[in-house]
Amino acid sequence: MNSNALCFGEDLPATGMPCHVEVSAVGLMVRFGDVAPDSGGPPVPFDALAVFAGGLNHDQLVVRWGNGSDARTVYLKDPALIRAFRAAAPPDLTRDLEATAAKVRQARMRQRTVWAVAAGAAGALALVLWLGSDLVVAFAVDRIPPAWEQKLGEAAYRDFLLQQSVVREGPAVTAVHDIVQRLSEKIPDNPYTFEVAVVKSDVVNAFALPGGYVVVFTGLMKKAESGEEVAGVLSHELNHVLQRHGLERIVKQLGLAAVVTIVLGDQQGLIGLMKQVGVELLTLKFGREQETEADVTGLRLLHRAKIDPAGMIRFFDRLSEQDKERVEILSTHPMSESRAARLKEEVAALPKQMPEPFEFDWKTVQGALGGSESVRP
Amino acid sequence: MKSEILYPGAFPMVRVELAAGETIKAESGAMVASSPTVDIESKMEGGFLGALSRKLLSGEKFFFQTLRASRGPGEVLLAPTVPGEIVILELDGLNEYMVQKDGFLAGAESVKIESQMQSFSRGLLGGEGFFILKISGTGALILNSFGAIHRIDLKPDQEYIVDNSHLVAWSATTSYNIERAASGWVASFTSGEGFVCRFRGPGVAYIQSRNPGSFGAWIRQFIPVSE
Repeated sequence: MNSNALCFGEDLPATGMPCHVEVSAVGLMVRFGDVAPDSGGPPVPFDALAVFAGGLNHDQLVVRWGNGSDARTVYLKDPALIRAFRAAAPPDLTRDLEATAAKVRQARMRQRTVWAVAAGAAGALALVLWLGSDLVVAFAVDRIPPAWEQKLGEAAYRDFLLQQSVVREGPAVTAVHDIVQRLSEKIPDNPYTFEVAVVKSDVVNAFALPGGYVVVFTGLMKKAESGEEVAGVLSHELNHVLQRHGLERIVKQLGLAAVVTIVLGDQQGLIGLMKQVGVELLTLKFGREQETEADVTGLRLLHRAKIDPAGMIRFFDRLSEQDKERVEILSTHPMSESRAARLKEEVAALPKQMPEPFEFDWKTVQGALGGSESVRP
Repeated sequence: MKSEILYPGAFPMVRVELAAGETIKAESGAMVASSPTVDIESKMEGGFLGALSRKLLSGEKFFFQTLRASRGPGEVLLAPTVPGEIVILELDGLNEYMVQKDGFLAGAESVKIESQMQSFSRGLLGGEGFFILKISGTGALILNSFGAIHRIDLKPDQEYIVDNSHLVAWSATTSYNIERAASGWVASFTSGEGFVCRFRGPGVAYIQSRNPGSFGAWIRQFIPVSE
């Protein structure tokens, strides 16, 4: 005789005793495997049974009878057997069962709804993160203290300078320090201490690292025709630092995982991550929006420091007309029509004021560098 | 098919004796050694889509390997990836077990394996993931655990509380609810338990004495950050 159900009870194994269940007109016949078919006890009458749905997914029919240690619970999962039971059982027993079945269906429906809602919410979240990733990045960046940023920038700055020939003193260094001094005096609540190095190189460029570390190449100083032009470039670079553009790029590159780490307060972990990208810091390219932001805030800073903002525009304009390949700054700061137009618009919008000239004489500064004619291809 | 656990404890292995032509399904990568009469076939249980859904959904390996004693009787040695005990269950066609995805090591050919989606709350908080394996049929089912394996017998309506992530397998006749370990949210998390599963019998639950997630978190602190 094949077993088709499991019977449970106090004195039966926890995995259930395999049994054969048959539905008769008066009740349930339950026989255990080792008992001969004709020796089974009398059927358990329907009025002694309690019925409900059970099992992990409420997909089994549970029939229970008896009391105390003689109580028996049978789990039926064979669909044919369940149908036979429902056909033979009196209506008042199956009425409860119908209600239970309805409840199970309801629970399944609810489960499906929860899944659909969860999937929808996950989709919506992904969409929000995708569309609002800038906001998320900005939020994460806000949570990084400037001290961390400084440590990071300093490491890259020292590494870089070790491989370069740095101009330690002279009119060029004094001039650059003067410019940075005048600009930084006009930055309210400046959390950074700017450190500037003049590096001997024909590269026409300048860059800023997170935390306030600025490098100016002598090539750029030779190309500039006035202190105001250099001030324009420096003001732009300082504003990359102040707006924490470098950090934004790093956070974007490291991805959402880093953002989550920062938001949850584990900045220690971020330093570990950042060490891995520290090398990339020097090749970090800013986005178009960040350039525009640095342009605009840079111009305003020049204005506050009473430095002629037109110098910045003139410098980029003039360079872009010249031989582009040799002027590295243009590869990261292409002087498009729209950019020039934007800059000029900004300058026009600023209130007119008398610029105050620098104390140094630009020709003397350039003379100390060896003159602009010494630029070699 | 006859199976026997060798070296019971943390680093056990199972020896399965196969009669000529007999096969056993095992988690891919589980085979340690075998007689030369045994061939390894990679088989996608439940067809390609079934295997794919199992891979994508439950994280279980895409292929089970089938080991067939195609050239006469032979034996196979099988072992799980993680240190921990092995248990062999004999399925009678009536008992069905739900197994968390890393718990399956091997099963006789007549053992049927399906992926099943759990309810959202069980999947999210139960620690077994959203998908579990439903194992039915007849023959030997070999499960592995992380740590020691412990069986809890539940009489009808008897309840037992198991910390999530400690579950290995449980009978389909049991049901469980996810609940907080302590009465308050804060207390639940500060107690270190978070969520627990309240099981209700009849049936059995197999639990593992170590929590893989906690072990991973513990070991992570010793991994140096690359410079």
